[in-house]
Amino acid sequence: MPPHEYGDLPVHKMAPGEFNFQYGPSTGGLMESVGITLTTPGELINSVAVDFSFKSRKLNLRGKSIRDALLTVERINGFHAASNSLAFLMSVEDALGMEVSEEVQKARILQLELERIRSHLEVIKRLCEPAGFGVPVNQLGYLREKISRIISRAAGHRFFFGANAPGYCSVSGSGINEKLREAGKEFQRIYAGLLESKIFLNRLQNNGLTRDNFLTGPAARASGLRYDSRIDSATLPYGDTPFYPVIREEKDCFGRFNVRGEEILNSIDIIASLGNIKETGKPSLQEGDGQGCARLESPQGDIFYYAGLNNGLIEDIWHVSPGTLNIRAFQESMKGNIFTDFHFNWESFGIWISEVGVVFQ
Amino acid sequence: MLSYIAIAILGISAIMGLFQKKAAYLGILVGSAYYMLSGFNPADQMSYFILIACLVWILVSLYSLSYDRHYGKWLASSMALMIMGMVIILQSTNYLLLITGWETMSVPAYVIVGMNKRDSAPAFTFMMFSEFSTILIISGAVYAFFITGTLTFTQIPSYGPLLLISMGALIKMGMTPFMISEWLPIAHGNAPANASAALSATMTLMGVFAIMKMILVSPDVIWIGYIFLAIGSISILFASIYAYISENMKMLAGFSTIENNAAILSAMGLYLIASEVVLRQFIFATIIIFALSHSISKTGLFFSIGNSPGEYFGESGHPTSYGQRVGTMLTTMSLSGLFPTIGGLATWMLLEAFFMEAYAGGAPGMSAIVVGSVIALGEGMATGSMMKILAFGNLFHRKLERKHSPNQAIISGIGLVLIFLFAISIFIVSGTFISGVPGVLVFNGFTITSRFGKADFGLISPDYVVLLITAFSLAAYALFRKPRLRDVPVWNGGSAEVDPYTSYAYSNNIRLMLRRVLRTKTGAFGNAVTVIDVFWLIMTDIGKGYRAVSKFITLRVMNSSIGWYMVYMIAAFLVIMLIAVLVY
Repeated sequence: MPPHEYGDLPVHKMAPGEFNFQYGPSTGGLMESVGITLTTPGELINSVAVDFSFKSRKLNLRGKSIRDALLTVERINGFHAASNSLAFLMSVEDALGMEVSEEVQKARILQLELERIRSHLEVIKRLCEPAGFGVPVNQLGYLREKISRIISRAAGHRFFFGANAPGYCSVSGSGINEKLREAGKEFQRIYAGLLESKIFLNRLQNNGLTRDNFLTGPAARASGLRYDSRIDSATLPYGDTPFYPVIREEKDCFGRFNVRGEEILNSIDIIASLGNIKETGKPSLQEGDGQGCARLESPQGDIFYYAGLNNGLIEDIWHVSPGTLNIRAFQESMKGNIFTDFHFNWESFGIWISEVGVVFQ
Repeated sequence: MLSYIAIAILGISAIMGLFQKKAAYLGILVGSAYYMLSGFNPADQMSYFILIACLVWILVSLYSLSYDRHYGKWLASSMALMIMGMVIILQSTNYLLLITGWETMSVPAYVIVGMNKRDSAPAFTFMMFSEFSTILIISGAVYAFFITGTLTFTQIPSYGPLLLISMGALIKMGMTPFMISEWLPIAHGNAPANASAALSATMTLMGVFAIMKMILVSPDVIWIGYIFLAIGSISILFASIYAYISENMKMLAGFSTIENNAAILSAMGLYLIASEVVLRQFIFATIIIFALSHSISKTGLFFSIGNSPGEYFGESGHPTSYGQRVGTMLTTMSLSGLFPTIGGLATWMLLEAFFMEAYAGGAPGMSAIVVGSVIALGEGMATGSMMKILAFGNLFHRKLERKHSPNQAIISGIGLVLIFLFAISIFIVSGTFISGVPGVLVFNGFTITSRFGKADFGLISPDYVVLLITAFSLAAYALFRKPRLRDVPVWNGGSAEVDPYTSYAYSNNIRLMLRRVLRTKTGAFGNAVTVIDVFWLIMTDIGKGYRAVSKFITLRVMNSSIGWYMVYMIAAFLVIMLIAVLVY
């Protein structure tokens, strides 16, 4: 879908001297296939259009069982598999009116926070890449791998595949806290080093200032907005943990970097407070009818799923990825910036095109 | 006396041009060749200006034979007259001839600038500045006559004539004191390409010649040297910036001319402040080499631009030949101060001269370091603007043409001339600065050495540079043969939509980075980015202000008021009396 048809963004009218610089979909520096059109008179970026249609996937889940549908949902974006599968399962549970034990909900928090740590580490690593900071890039890559191994040990799979089902969670938290604390200390050292680097901060500060409140996730919290679905989650007991929303007022790349850095440390504390999580409940594949929805705070922001069930089969499903809002915010924030700002700003939003490009049929 | 035959040939060519254009250009060719042979004397450094100018005129006449198809009979005649005026300047032994030549050069140039476009503004702009220049030169000549009692160029015990005539010549070189004057790019940019080359390469050379001539007959006044350094360095910096952001190729070349002339002016300023005799000789040689490099390279550049279908970078689609590409590349390399062209040597000598003067210490040394650094900065910017012309004028989006036109041959020929001049530069530079390093097989006579005392400061062996590049190129060819090329569609990130990268975008970084200097505005007047030429703005504001004051006095004060008129006459009389007493 062309980006100007998405939401209410006005179409940029080309001024004399401007031309369209095409970046992507298949080029160096971009992790996923995404077409970015920069309207520029040279150096200065006057308009940005993000075209995610190159990674558009039409997934037909209708008529499939919950189990089969879950196999697809958790593979929408491996990096955020827990967020997608849990939001989907929670919508299913809502549709079926299932009661889920607190132990399972805590195990879900464990998954989401582990996923958040890894995702934020990846974003910060990618923020260091355009600055040419080879050492922190590799240090953060090493830390991310460490977290992946912790996840693998806890869930049996690096991307939580097969760890979840309605009312069930096969995640074990035993022995991970010490390793996480270690990783946390290592991260703090790297993070402090980055915060002391004027070269790095100059690239982030005042770069990609957000202009309105159409934001979600760390991007929203870096703009002074108290948007975090963990604050008022109806099902996940975040109130019993030391969770606090990290709010910053900067509205720029630095703010987004700062929020992510602090959230990593907060997530480690949240996981430590959960106690010893053990495999809980039993896989329950109930059949039934109903409609349900759920939202949770994925590392990128608020993710929403709706599921309509008919006799235990998917009748209707749709979702809203946080990238939908954040792409729009990114486009707006790029105006007036220059080419060298682009990568820092793009990475700071932590947008996953694989999620935005999914259309359920 | 023999040289006056050249003036006669050019005069006859001007008349012939009214009936047969090609005959006029052939006349210019013959007249220039004759003048070069009769007027150039290797022992006389001032006669190098004759050599440089004649080389340009020969090239211009050759190019004009196939270029001048779209212009009427007046272009060839005016060109012949203009060149005749310049010969008179070069031949002048007194102020009267200098002024005569100056006006004979300027009036046909006004006609030439006016014939290219329906817009009359560039021609009037040219004429206004031209006449202002003439007034200053006449004032200087009158002052010299007042002091010496003769119109002949003899030693003058005062700095006044040097200052006045230099200011007049500076205007002709595109530098109104402490400002770069956009009039030069406007005027030169609106003339036909063959005339633009003559205007840009040789009319400004006349300014250099006049200043140099006055320096040689005037006392050494160090503060005038500092003024030259200040004007030169400011003009280099701003002319190179405006050249870089210019979208009109001819105007870009015009700004480049100001930049080159400002570099020469800086060298002349250095000549005035330098006290070391050997260094002064080196600076004089630098001025000659720089003038030679600028004149030939700028001629090639205007020819290359003239071969394009439009004056703006956006007007592309014209195929170019290998010859034109090579010629333009070498021309732009020379104007960028890169080896193995004469421009590389000129820039090297200029920077060497400044950094040698740094050893003088004190104010001269400090000034030399500052101005030398500004020149180096300007040369860097110049490289950027020259690459813009090469890339967007000749390389991007243009297919190669198999058919070769005479003009393309001339453009490629000029490129080769620039290398040739570099190779034979050891014969142009004074023997004082020629040596060798036999220990490393660089034999005596093949090295140009910069020095300001007994010890060498730096050295370059032009023939060895050319030979080594040639030898390595031939060796690479012998080993690897012609590279196998494969044309593939441009990969644009996997997208089929390709907007070409524009020359405007190429230089927009400078528009944005120097936003305080260029008064860059984004989104103003419906344009993405707009800049203001501050110097031109000030100049037009002064002009408008003067007009407004004149209008006010005419309508409100002097309007049929005999009383006020008498007051004005008495005041004017008193002011003139006061000036006369002060000067006397």
